[in-house]
Amino acid sequence: MSLLAVRALSRSFGGLRALDGVDLALAEGEILGVIGPNGAGKTTLFGVIAGSLPPSAGEVQLAGRHIGGMPAHRIVRAGVVRTHQIVRPFPHLTVLENATVAALHAGGRASGPAPSRAAEVLEFVGLADRADRLPGTLTLAARKRVELARALATAPRVLLLDEVIAGLAPAEAHALAALIRRIRDERGASIIMIEHVMPAVMSLSDRVVVLDHGKRIAEGTPAEVVRDPQVLAAYLGPGGAP
Amino acid sequence: MIGRIPRGGAAGCAAAVALLAAAPVVLDLTPYSHNLLTLAFLMIAGALAWNWMGGYVGQVSFGHAIMFGIGGFVSARLVLSGALPAPLAWIAGGLVGGVAALGAHPMLRLRGPYFSIATIGVGEAARLIFTYWESFTGGSSGLSLPIDPILKYQLYWWSLWLAAGVAAASWLMRRSTLGLQLLAIKSDVEAAADVGVSATFYQDLVFCLSGAVVGLTGALYASYFAYIEPADLFGFDRSIGFVLMAVIGGLGTPFGPILGAVVFVLLRQSLLATYPQLYLGLYGGLLIVIILFEPLGLTGLGLRTARLVRRLRASRSAARAA
Amino acid sequence: MARFIDLVFRAILLAGLYATMAYGLGLIYGVLRVVNLAHGGILMAGAYLGWILFDTWHIDPYLSIPIVLAASFLFGAALYRVLVVHLPRGAAGGPASLLLLFGVWLVLRNAAYWLFTGDDRTIRTAYSTRAILVAGSYLEVSRLAVLAIAVLVPIVLHVLLRRTYLGMAIRAVAQNPDSCAVVGIDVGRIYTITFGLGTALAGLAGLLWATIFSFNPSSGGSELLKSFVVVVLGGLGSTFGVAIAALIVAAAEVFAILVLPSYLTSAVGFVLLVLVLVLRPGGLFGQRVLG
Repeated sequence: MSLLAVRALSRSFGGLRALDGVDLALAEGEILGVIGPNGAGKTTLFGVIAGSLPPSAGEVQLAGRHIGGMPAHRIVRAGVVRTHQIVRPFPHLTVLENATVAALHAGGRASGPAPSRAAEVLEFVGLADRADRLPGTLTLAARKRVELARALATAPRVLLLDEVIAGLAPAEAHALAALIRRIRDERGASIIMIEHVMPAVMSLSDRVVVLDHGKRIAEGTPAEVVRDPQVLAAYLGPGGAP
Repeated sequence: MIGRIPRGGAAGCAAAVALLAAAPVVLDLTPYSHNLLTLAFLMIAGALAWNWMGGYVGQVSFGHAIMFGIGGFVSARLVLSGALPAPLAWIAGGLVGGVAALGAHPMLRLRGPYFSIATIGVGEAARLIFTYWESFTGGSSGLSLPIDPILKYQLYWWSLWLAAGVAAASWLMRRSTLGLQLLAIKSDVEAAADVGVSATFYQDLVFCLSGAVVGLTGALYASYFAYIEPADLFGFDRSIGFVLMAVIGGLGTPFGPILGAVVFVLLRQSLLATYPQLYLGLYGGLLIVIILFEPLGLTGLGLRTARLVRRLRASRSAARAA
Repeated sequence: MARFIDLVFRAILLAGLYATMAYGLGLIYGVLRVVNLAHGGILMAGAYLGWILFDTWHIDPYLSIPIVLAASFLFGAALYRVLVVHLPRGAAGGPASLLLLFGVWLVLRNAAYWLFTGDDRTIRTAYSTRAILVAGSYLEVSRLAVLAIAVLVPIVLHVLLRRTYLGMAIRAVAQNPDSCAVVGIDVGRIYTITFGLGTALAGLAGLLWATIFSFNPSSGGSELLKSFVVVVLGGLGSTFGVAIAALIVAAAEVFAILVLPSYLTSAVGFVLLVLVLVLRPGGLFGQRVLG
């Protein structure tokens, strides 16, 4: 049984079908990449899985337990957490406090007082030296790590990363990619990541799912997906495959 | 960081409370000063409790008079019927105030201006209903409690302990993980939910606590004045008072409302004889100035002056060393 | 039956007043995303201005409409330029804008107390209290006049917003202020004008209201709330929606007399407010931005 199973998931906004019957399965210990052109519905997918939005149809199961339609804060306690495409750290809380708030909601998967667990997570992501700073004083790369630390502090079983590498300089991107791999290897979290930065997705993902116009159009290993004519058509337009 | 008072601050606060407790005896206060301080202590408690919602959670309520009035009249009714001695009646008033606050649950998912305007509406509706609920509030003539000079004298200390207790609770709340979560909700309620914070639960909790304390304050107020009427306790001016005290003192700071309440009571008292309506206009102007220039009110002003003094001292000693 | 028709007429006439009150609030909220908590105070100020013009200089209230409109517009424009412009835009300004405008309301209230004392006032001309017999009901001239103006205002607004460059600019700014700046629209100027228009409408509504009801410096609170219900229920920018919403609110209040004691009928508006906010904050016609 997959750790996270998504079946026929749909979400409409008025007349717009942002998600149209998407199926997806995440195995334990896997890194699953989600790619697709802009407007494909990737962030909406995360929103529905994480509870920010209710689904219009379909279901989401975490280790067999129905979580589709549950409010976000309960899904976090169940073990699924998301990061935001545009980072949203709490502006008036220090980095440590940002992580502490999240650490309070690990749903019994972690033991020990929240502040010390938060400190440990900061150590893991490399922000320990900036623990008492306000997010507004940090670089974008650091703020992305705050977002990551916050998510990790909830001791998640499934981590949804929304374009964490996009917008970073190559050196920072490499460092963050390595960190993501360490999260999967050392912290027992399975990961779904939305990414536009192809080298990152291809090197990190065990499997890749491709969305276009709210539908899943391809799935497979990175190598397979890259050669799929439907995927190429989606990105380059019909008849545009070189 | 907001709320960090320098070390030794706790000792200073305890000393201040001790001084105030001893004042009536040691300083031989006039009845006027004695009463004024009692009123100030009550308003301090109310403003601090309002600040939990308006400042910590960020939901500005213009309807807190409802809980104040409910607490006052419930307590007064219990005292009048002889069912409970005053202190227990006060607690009952507070409890009912807290329960009443829970009634606001459906409104609590409204954000910002929608919530605030809803509270104006509920406040006004409640005022009308309670004004004409004669069997409970005595209608527009209100209720008269038996005059008890000893109790009134002792209320000085009851109020002082209430104010001190609420201040301590404000401080603890701010520094605790609860305070962090409230601040997260205030900054970004969706992101807070995305890391597991249940906004509805915490808003219900804080509103209930705030309502209970304000209800308790209303109950003591009723025993203090021994005559209460719905227009006063449930009035819009009463609700406005809490807002003004907290904002002018320092919205969201743990102790700002104390300052705001003291200034408010003193100002209102001094203007009562000459221009009773002026205090509102004055406060309105002050509110405008504060929103535009110093969002943390008098507390912010104080922090800025402290920083300025520190910088001046540092540059002076540097100049001297050079 | 005659009683029923009488109530229907009363509801329609009252709806005209409520709609006029709501346009100003809705305009400011739709374009600037600011809830003008001083709305009630400006209503009250408009009432006092009309009263003073009538009482001291004997200017007929309906003739003083241009004066009140102009004065309220200037006041609003100044209010925006001097105070409101300093607020951060959007959600971040939330409690700050509320409290700022609330402060303005308090100052207005206090000024009125100081200038006019707390006595109740009203504007009654020789003819305004006369009633015309229409279909078996006596309808006061003053209320009919309000209805006539209430029908005129949305027409004028519609023409302004749809047929003039200014109106087009206002609608554009309401939808996307940043893009407007890029194409050369002076967003600050548009905000100033819109705020002024909103307060002008509020002042006008206050003047009209003064011809029907009595008022004092503390008035304006329940009018603010009712305006808000109408705006929220009717949806932003939908003049048709505002008209329907005003009818609903007025009808609820008027027909409540059948079941509630008279002092509680004003509570109907407040209850409606809370219900609407909790159940359908998007209004009957969904949230629509101007345009």
